[in-house]
Amino acid sequence: MFRLLSRPLRLPAFLGPTPRPDDPQIFRFNSERGPIINDVVRRVVQHYVGAPQKLLYVLNEAANAEVRRLASQDDLEASDALGTWRRLVKRLGKMSEEERVQELRRIAGDMAEDIAGNFDPRVYGLATKIVPGVLTAIMKPGSLPKQVLGGFRQLDDLVTTEGPIEKLRRLARVGTLVLMPTHSSNLDSVALGYALMRENLPPVVYGAGKNLFSNPLISFFMHNLGAYRVDRRIQAQLYKEVLKTYSCMMIERGYHSLFFPGGTRARSGMVERRLKLGLAGTGVEAFARNQARGVSRPVFFVPATLNYALVLEAETLIDDHLKGAGKSRYIIDDDESSQVKRVYEFFAKLQQLRSAMVVRFGEPLDPFCNPVDDEGRSIAPSGRPVDPASYVKHHGIATVDPARDAGYTRELGEAIARVYQRETVIMWTQLVAHVLYRRLVHMTPELDLFGRQRLHGQIDMPRAQLEAEVGAARDKLREISAAGGVQLGPVLRVQRAAEIVDQALKAWSGYHTKVIASEDGPNIMIGDPNLLLFYQNRLVPHAEALATPETAVAARTIAAMGGGA
Amino acid sequence: MNVNSRATSKIAVVGGGAFGWGLALAAERAGHEVLMWSRRPQREGSQRVRLVGELAELAAAELVFFAVPSPHMPALAAELGQHLDGGHFLVHVSRGIVGEELQTLSQVLRTRTPCRRVGALAGPLVAKALVEGAPGGGIVASRFPEVQAAVRDALSCSSLRIYRTDDLIGAEFASTGVGLLAMAVGFARGVGLGPATLAVMASRGMSECARIGVALGGRTETFTGLAGYGDLLAAVADDGRPELAVGRELAAGTPLGQLGRQLGAYVEGLESARRIAAYARRTGAHAPLISLCADVFEGKVDSGQALAGLMSRQVGEE
Repeated sequence: MFRLLSRPLRLPAFLGPTPRPDDPQIFRFNSERGPIINDVVRRVVQHYVGAPQKLLYVLNEAANAEVRRLASQDDLEASDALGTWRRLVKRLGKMSEEERVQELRRIAGDMAEDIAGNFDPRVYGLATKIVPGVLTAIMKPGSLPKQVLGGFRQLDDLVTTEGPIEKLRRLARVGTLVLMPTHSSNLDSVALGYALMRENLPPVVYGAGKNLFSNPLISFFMHNLGAYRVDRRIQAQLYKEVLKTYSCMMIERGYHSLFFPGGTRARSGMVERRLKLGLAGTGVEAFARNQARGVSRPVFFVPATLNYALVLEAETLIDDHLKGAGKSRYIIDDDESSQVKRVYEFFAKLQQLRSAMVVRFGEPLDPFCNPVDDEGRSIAPSGRPVDPASYVKHHGIATVDPARDAGYTRELGEAIARVYQRETVIMWTQLVAHVLYRRLVHMTPELDLFGRQRLHGQIDMPRAQLEAEVGAARDKLREISAAGGVQLGPVLRVQRAAEIVDQALKAWSGYHTKVIASEDGPNIMIGDPNLLLFYQNRLVPHAEALATPETAVAARTIAAMGGGA
Repeated sequence: MNVNSRATSKIAVVGGGAFGWGLALAAERAGHEVLMWSRRPQREGSQRVRLVGELAELAAAELVFFAVPSPHMPALAAELGQHLDGGHFLVHVSRGIVGEELQTLSQVLRTRTPCRRVGALAGPLVAKALVEGAPGGGIVASRFPEVQAAVRDALSCSSLRIYRTDDLIGAEFASTGVGLLAMAVGFARGVGLGPATLAVMASRGMSECARIGVALGGRTETFTGLAGYGDLLAAVADDGRPELAVGRELAAGTPLGQLGRQLGAYVEGLESARRIAAYARRTGAHAPLISLCADVFEGKVDSGQALAGLMSRQVGEE
């Protein structure tokens, strides 16, 4: 059997409430789960009917890829499945076409079952009540009883939401939202989920790495809140096809969805500049498929940036980045987010800071990069509405055309990446890190990146100079922000330079295991250049614009590094 | 508009210059009905080429060619864009770029109109060959296979070979580079430089274009293909394109006022060279030859200084 982990726990279905008509589509998921899986399998199988060579190839490829993977996995669970795949490899050549189709149906069915999530409104209700409580309890245990009565102000203070929220609420009623946030932490989905809940936006389905399901409690919540499982270890083409078909079908059926188009967490700390979209591209296909069968429900892509003054896994991410290991360690399962103590310390630190996380939604786009108005109409450059259906028509007929949709998807990826730059909220820690890192580069013109990253506790900066440069850089950021190039975060908007520096030092001390920067008499001593690089990397696109005449050369070096390594 | 009313065989052309007419006649020869809009029509329509008075009338075609100089493109695209929707395919033949960030004209089409299925026609296609149906070839660049197919269908005839690529930015930038290098080739010929110098100039110039083009998102192989080297070879072999003539006139010291109908090609080449040179200065990209071209076209340096500049550069690894 194609199955690696036992199924996550679910509550008995017959005790569940009946969804109300105005509930988001996800409240009806449990009754649609079976039909959705069947439809996914039918569509995948359809793709190979009448194409015997393609069929044989896809089965061979899947079987051999799985044999390779499971053989290297080498555990009890794997050995069971390994035998099945090995037998299939042997039998495939002798099978009739009908038998192969049967086999494809079985494998695709198992894969779809493994992927498909669940949504239990009771678990959702529970989560909306307990998650803020748990987080508040971690952050300020003593205040919990008071907060339960008066709302979770502690958490509300911590997470700021910005953007066209009222418009998104409206659009969620007339079409399907596809949220596309930047990705820097495993807390992203939690922070975003909380922001959606608080802002009365509908819950979303999203693909989560299977490794996140290994903890039974987290697995229970994720599974029952609409997350579907993505096993990144499986390389088989067929698996990717089943996954894409599942994701496409969910959007076709009106399930609001969430994708991290950067794929994996940004190791360098930079905002993603090149997006491949991957699964998010199924939003374009879903729109076309609906149009081709006469369903005109619009799809809205909503870029969002998640901005943290402090990043839970900063140390692991930047180390991984500097080792150039980002690709080989696509799945990091031993970082800070898997250590309860580190997560606790992180939240304990955050409670000392206000607005340490900013979730900023950008203006929604249709699948063809057009802005949409409050009613969900696509708007052309002339300011007039344009019919989104026209983009999937050829000779006046709506069609499904993967090559065409790949073109649209590429353009959408570029458009979203541009929005990311504009909607990035610069946090105070990032700006101070940038000025300190610029100092480090300025003082070590003879060193390359790796030489520089070894300089722990050797370069300092007079505090007065740091404050002056932070103040000047903030003023320039204000100008860039006024021109729509970037957003200015809390603390930076209102505080004086001295206060900004204080707040950054405060944020850095006490959570990270390495000292980023510390006071040393009248100077600020640079401690760990790696973490400094991580936090300053968000400012790379603006490095030259923020420079003073004296620091212009250093700024150019930083800009040319493009995030380092 | 009602897209169903769009006849499949209608092709639209914006611009009634030599190239616009070349496209119109080639499409007519391929059996299509052509709608052409021109600010100042220079000749009568034909049986199947109908001159229209309003840009809006072009919306009846699915495929629209833009054959106007790049400075006119943004305004015309915005005006026509009011009558178009996502079902239209737009393809331009310009050798220009706009703005400080070296925006290609397909980007202009995308931002000024609701159309996304856009492309560019590049390579060694010259108006005369299109008009006469002489053997030749070109390349259509678009991220959308439908657009590539529509262009090939619109111009298809046994003597014309239209290749395709999805590297739109690369093809547009290569085509721009060839435009200004062709002007430089004309100039070099005019001052009596020999084949070896021309070869060095053309090769180094194309390498500079490729470096910047790749930084902008294009692919190297596009610059070594029909849109880049292929096109430049035709210019070096003197295919009679206007850029060569402009280069020769500049070498002869003809005042700009006397360039007449070639002024458009001059402006395009000069602007491209200036913009690329400024971009290279700003970003630190290595483009000495293109910067020299900008100075020569602008009249800042004469031919003697240009040659000295070209030859005094330090020789490094290719």
